[in-house]
Amino acid sequence: MSLSEVKLNTDCVVKEIKIADEKTKIRLMELGLILGTKLRVENKSALKQTLLVVFNSSVFTIKTDVANGIIINYA
Amino acid sequence: MRKLLLIGNPNVGKTTLFNSLTKSHEHTGNFHGVTVEEKGKLVNMDGEGWYIVDLPGLYSLLPFSYEEEISKNAILNNKDFNLVISDANSLKRNLYLCLQLKELGINFKLLINNYNYFKKHGNSIDIAALKKYFDAEIIDAKKCKFNKNLIKFNKIDLNLTYLTQFLAKIKEKIKKSDAELIAAFNGNFAGFNDDEIAFVNAQLPALIMARYNFIDGIINEAVKQNKNFVYGKSKLDKILLKPPVMFAGFLAVFFASIYLIFFLVGPLVGDALVGVLYFLIISPFMNFLYSAANNIWIIQFFNEGVFSSINTVLTFLPQVCLLFLFLTVLEDSGLISRMAYVLDDFLTKLGLNGKAIYIILMGLGCNTMSTLISRNMSERNLKIKCALINPFVSCMARLPVYVLVASAFFGKWTYFVVVGLYLLGLAVALIMALILNKTILKTHSNNLLLEFPPLKNLDVKHIGVVVKTNAIDFVKRVFGVIVSMGVIVWILSHTNFKFMYTQEIGESMLFFLADKIAILFAPIGLNSAGAVSALIVGIMAKELIVSTLSIANNAQSNAALISSLTLAASPVHFTTASAVSFLVFILLYCPCISNIAVLKKEVGGFYTAFSIISQLTIAYLTSFVFYQSIQHGIWFAAISLAIIFTILFSVIHLTKKVKHNKCLTCNKCHRN
Repeated sequence: MSLSEVKLNTDCVVKEIKIADEKTKIRLMELGLILGTKLRVENKSALKQTLLVVFNSSVFTIKTDVANGIIINYA
Repeated sequence: MRKLLLIGNPNVGKTTLFNSLTKSHEHTGNFHGVTVEEKGKLVNMDGEGWYIVDLPGLYSLLPFSYEEEISKNAILNNKDFNLVISDANSLKRNLYLCLQLKELGINFKLLINNYNYFKKHGNSIDIAALKKYFDAEIIDAKKCKFNKNLIKFNKIDLNLTYLTQFLAKIKEKIKKSDAELIAAFNGNFAGFNDDEIAFVNAQLPALIMARYNFIDGIINEAVKQNKNFVYGKSKLDKILLKPPVMFAGFLAVFFASIYLIFFLVGPLVGDALVGVLYFLIISPFMNFLYSAANNIWIIQFFNEGVFSSINTVLTFLPQVCLLFLFLTVLEDSGLISRMAYVLDDFLTKLGLNGKAIYIILMGLGCNTMSTLISRNMSERNLKIKCALINPFVSCMARLPVYVLVASAFFGKWTYFVVVGLYLLGLAVALIMALILNKTILKTHSNNLLLEFPPLKNLDVKHIGVVVKTNAIDFVKRVFGVIVSMGVIVWILSHTNFKFMYTQEIGESMLFFLADKIAILFAPIGLNSAGAVSALIVGIMAKELIVSTLSIANNAQSNAALISSLTLAASPVHFTTASAVSFLVFILLYCPCISNIAVLKKEVGGFYTAFSIISQLTIAYLTSFVFYQSIQHGIWFAAISLAIIFTILFSVIHLTKKVKHNKCLTCNKCHRN
């Protein structure tokens, strides 16, 4: 299941990162979103194009296109 | 002289620390990417000069945007001393950058800021444990002083076991030295061929994970953190992140602020300020001139060229202060990140992203500053688009013109005219973004990777300092640029081609030249030399438009200028239709000189020329529609708009077709 499909406020863990844009993938990893990272989607924007994601105690906005490439397991 | 760099992630307090260390008042804000260029100041300590440099924030040495590139280059070129500022609330992520610096052998001292917030939420840092790995110290960036203790540095050699393993693994494939490989891990591939670069890049995900494993070891030893602690989350977010609440709240605050700024508090204080100035300086000086000089041109020069420029522009000082108060409150509170998130859906449809809202809001203050901020966009086309639409946003320099000209013709409706101009500018900016996205500047990678800061209580002292700094800058500008340019305008409008003083303004060089091109402006109702000369002078700085009008009409106060604009006998006068046309043209026509210079630096000569030409065209067409519609009725507007939109859609369609044809002959992208 990808991060964009996760229900709000449900804890999950990063299983795989399959983001096509290598630059974005590396940047997300450098921000701490690596395999095994616990995360939670706090909010989805009105048209569901952007997600508000909590990981490593910080809140980041992630586009749904990018979130599609983050494969997760429920924690 | 030694150099001291302030390095760190975005929004950790680097500029706050810079201001404390150097006693400066550089722009700070509770938002990602407020600082977009290097800022430095020389400070003396015990007879030694230290050049302290505040760098734009960066998360990693692999840059994601232009401002991160600037910081990276500065770090790699610095041979002296570095301070890494870290936020206690996101220490793990901040240590990632520290680790990259350690890998490269760059020495630094780690300063941990914002610890009180971290501690208040039940967390703690064992600084002694952290000191085993980094020369670390907890600070309060607002109160930090530049002294020997701050730059006292203990070198700590870290045993980066993961790095040794990686180097060994890669050396099996690539014959390079350790230094070359470590540089390559951090994006410097000098001397590497394509296969080697691809191989190193393929190792990056594993390297990043190894770095974070190493950091986890440090964090487990040195940090005790409440399991549920989230930095950047607020209870109010449940309400604020609902689009209707955000939209309605923002519009209500914005329009109420405009009313307060321009029609209630502003004029009262402005008139009082100019009254005091007139009583204390202008009146005694002019009395002295009348008694001492019997030369009419000297008296006129000071009266019209110098004092009327000061009078008409300085009246708007309170409005400028209130506008910056509004923007600073938005910036410091953390609301801008929320707005960026909520508006991202809508802005993405136009080919922008949520971060563009920060550029638009800053544009309300100064277009030049917000053009510079566009560099924090991660994608080239996105950055260029933001820079190109930015001049359509009404900056504070255009305000005096709106208020004065609208007051002359619309009386109690002035407020709505000014609000209408703001909205028109915004609408044109957004339509322009959409057209650019559909034609020459399509956004290819729209990543809104934005960190949410927490909502903060407002620091009244800091807001006061920001408003005071901007007020001083405005006054300096009035007495510097505006007065000196006002003097030049006065000379040009009172000197004929024989370089003789003339009281007949129609014979002056400025009005003679303006008169020659005024015919071009006849279709938009601005065929008077006075109006055209104000437009020409406005390219230098928009504030000069009002001072040019007051010089031309010999008006000593705003009230006199307002009444003179409606009199047919005045050198510059308007009808209601031409006044609307004038205001619309000023709203949309080309950026000022300083903005043009920044545009050229940021987006290059081609797009700067494009910006000037497209803005002039759009301003002319829009003014034409407004002027002719008022003259001939609403049907004219409907037909004109239909023609303009047909042309626009044809251009978009044609551009798409040309691009599609090019695509068929190229196999460089996935579309084929």
